[in-house]
Amino acid sequence: MDTLLLARLQFATTTSIHFLFVVVTIGLVTLLVGMQTAWMLTGNPKWERLTRYWGQLYVINYVLGIATGIVMEFQFGLNWSGLSRYVGNVFGAPLAIETLVAFFLESTFLGMWIFGWHRLRRGVHLALLWGVALTAYASAFWIMVANSWLQHPVGYEVRDGIAHLTDFGALLTNPSLGMAFGHVVSAALLVGGMLMAAVSAWHLIRRTPDFALFRTSLRIGLVTAALAITMVQGFGFAQFGPIGEVQPTKFGQGPEAQTLIAEWTTRFGPGDYTPPVLANVGLGFMILIGLTLGCVWLLLPLLFRDWIIRLRFPLWLTLLALPLPFIAVILGWIAREVGRQPWVAYGLLPTEQAVSPVGAPVMLTSLIGFSLLLGTLAVTNWVLLARHAARGADDPALGRPPAPPNEPAHPEPALT
Amino acid sequence: MDLAWYALLGLFFGGYLVLAGYDYGVGLLLARGGGPAGRRAALTALGPFFLGNEVWLVAAVGVLFGAFPVLEGELLSGCYPAVVGALVGVILVTVGVQLRSRPVDERIRARWDRVVVVGSVLAALGWGVLLAALLQGVPRQADGHVVGVSHLVTPFTAAAGLAMVALVAVHGAAFLALRLPAADSAVVGRTHRRLVPVALSAVALATVVGLLSSRVRDSVQRPAVAVLLPVLLVAALLAARAALARQRPGWALAATGVALALPVALVGAALWPYVLVSTTDPGASLTVADAAASAPTLRLLGWVALPLLPALLGFQAMCWWVFRGRTDGRAPVYW
Repeated sequence: MDTLLLARLQFATTTSIHFLFVVVTIGLVTLLVGMQTAWMLTGNPKWERLTRYWGQLYVINYVLGIATGIVMEFQFGLNWSGLSRYVGNVFGAPLAIETLVAFFLESTFLGMWIFGWHRLRRGVHLALLWGVALTAYASAFWIMVANSWLQHPVGYEVRDGIAHLTDFGALLTNPSLGMAFGHVVSAALLVGGMLMAAVSAWHLIRRTPDFALFRTSLRIGLVTAALAITMVQGFGFAQFGPIGEVQPTKFGQGPEAQTLIAEWTTRFGPGDYTPPVLANVGLGFMILIGLTLGCVWLLLPLLFRDWIIRLRFPLWLTLLALPLPFIAVILGWIAREVGRQPWVAYGLLPTEQAVSPVGAPVMLTSLIGFSLLLGTLAVTNWVLLARHAARGADDPALGRPPAPPNEPAHPEPALT
Repeated sequence: MDLAWYALLGLFFGGYLVLAGYDYGVGLLLARGGGPAGRRAALTALGPFFLGNEVWLVAAVGVLFGAFPVLEGELLSGCYPAVVGALVGVILVTVGVQLRSRPVDERIRARWDRVVVVGSVLAALGWGVLLAALLQGVPRQADGHVVGVSHLVTPFTAAAGLAMVALVAVHGAAFLALRLPAADSAVVGRTHRRLVPVALSAVALATVVGLLSSRVRDSVQRPAVAVLLPVLLVAALLAARAALARQRPGWALAATGVALALPVALVGAALWPYVLVSTTDPGASLTVADAAASAPTLRLLGWVALPLLPALLGFQAMCWWVFRGRTDGRAPVYW
């Protein structure tokens, strides 16, 4: 096992786990903003209960998003020091902006939102959730700016073998950015909607007490998922044009790809410049899942007079379809990232030049250690999510009113 | 420009150690007994600040990557085990604190709390070793890479790591003395008094080992600044102890906070104008100017950071203000 392969495996593992959690974060926070805003506007306590229930699931999910996010950030320096050495002047800027503009504020707002129930004025409390959501989108945007630069480096010039920033605007108008950002964000909404619909379907199948509540969240989830899947498909197919132009080798072997490979062979020496077949396999299965999920539109007419609940089998379909969007986002990510190989920055920096000069044993230890740690934490997190989802909306810990001053605080077992 | 960004990097990393330092301190003190109720109270005191504290690390690494890309690659990959150790600790604390109250079973919660204790030790130890590694120099070769990991295993890094654990514990006790209800505060005040001598001896040990180490003596560019570090640390610890004895926990927390910010500031100043001093090849030492990103990148980031910095600090200050004061039965409970 060489260091390069180990470093790539570690990046793939961490990114995949990270991605599974952040798509849920972005999807759910959008729906939470809608629910809490509805509570503010209508004063209907149903919206408060919905916000607390889904908010608790959102907060549990967020834990692993932040933990894996920190590992991701450190990994660039730990395993890919060549990346910061040769292209850090350009690639580092959007990442630095992401941490300051987005990640930092998002966590600060979220901490105040979690603990601010019954303590802050309702308008301020709602504004904090809006802040969490906006910074989450900003975070996705700047990460996609950085990633798009690796797909298609722009706005730089190479002096003494090192890339220097010349035009930051070019990073923002990168042809590999726009549609991809829309695609990822819609995919997150799809995941959020599907998750909400599936959990609600489970409660409706089991006939748990909160019928009205889960009926509402089922409808919100399904409508969101339907709108989102159409956007996912639209933004997805719209990417083929720009990608074909800026990354001819990614999904094709046409004359443009052959020309580019010939050019690389003269500039960088002979080598295998076609990406692994895994990228195309991932793409194929992802498209298949995307088209299948389009069928969620067929469920929408059944919302009329609650036929979807009375027939029951559509609820089962919704529940069983839950893994599909998660599989699709991983496949999509594989298609985008593996399709870039053997480059870390397409046509500029080969992956093997970016890896840190760390010994294979150290890298192997790090790979096994972090995979086990993050894998265990991810499974634990999902178990907790499933338990809390199943427990229902009866008194979630998030937003629980404090004990009245003349009584003792909640007895210990109630502090779940 | 380089200096301003270097200072900003110091601000974020120092801010991280000061703020997350008491997270880890409270995490360590979960091991001191007091039963489920005591641990519950400590985590409730920490509650609203936790997420906002941990994220200073993310900002510090963001600034490191954006403004000092060469340093980012060399420092993190060159000190691999120390960084990974700290990182594992940070993750265990982050996940442990946020998830420990989700299960209902008190035994499972106790198990999560042990995870938090281990994570806190690892995090403090890792950052202590990393700062010590900077001070004693790294084997950076002429090709610009730091080779091997054995340079991290010295008596000085071990002593500095332990000193950091002790400092963090004192800091956490000061925080709890400020935040817990008055009755519990007295108990944790006694813990604080017992911990100060431990921290003082750990700092003294690290100082002696550092003075004896030829690597440290050779790497330090400004010996006066380096000697000032332990002197000020001792002063801060004694000030914290005196403040708590006079029932001024706020001042005690400020003093221990200074003690955690000092190592970052003074290690940076003692090595200036270098940031990575090479122990093998004097020509391979990395200066701050060489480590910095090129001028257009720094200018761009400057325009982003200038309006942003007041907002970042302002929202953090809002969090401190909203949740100021001692916790009571009405304090929000979540983790």
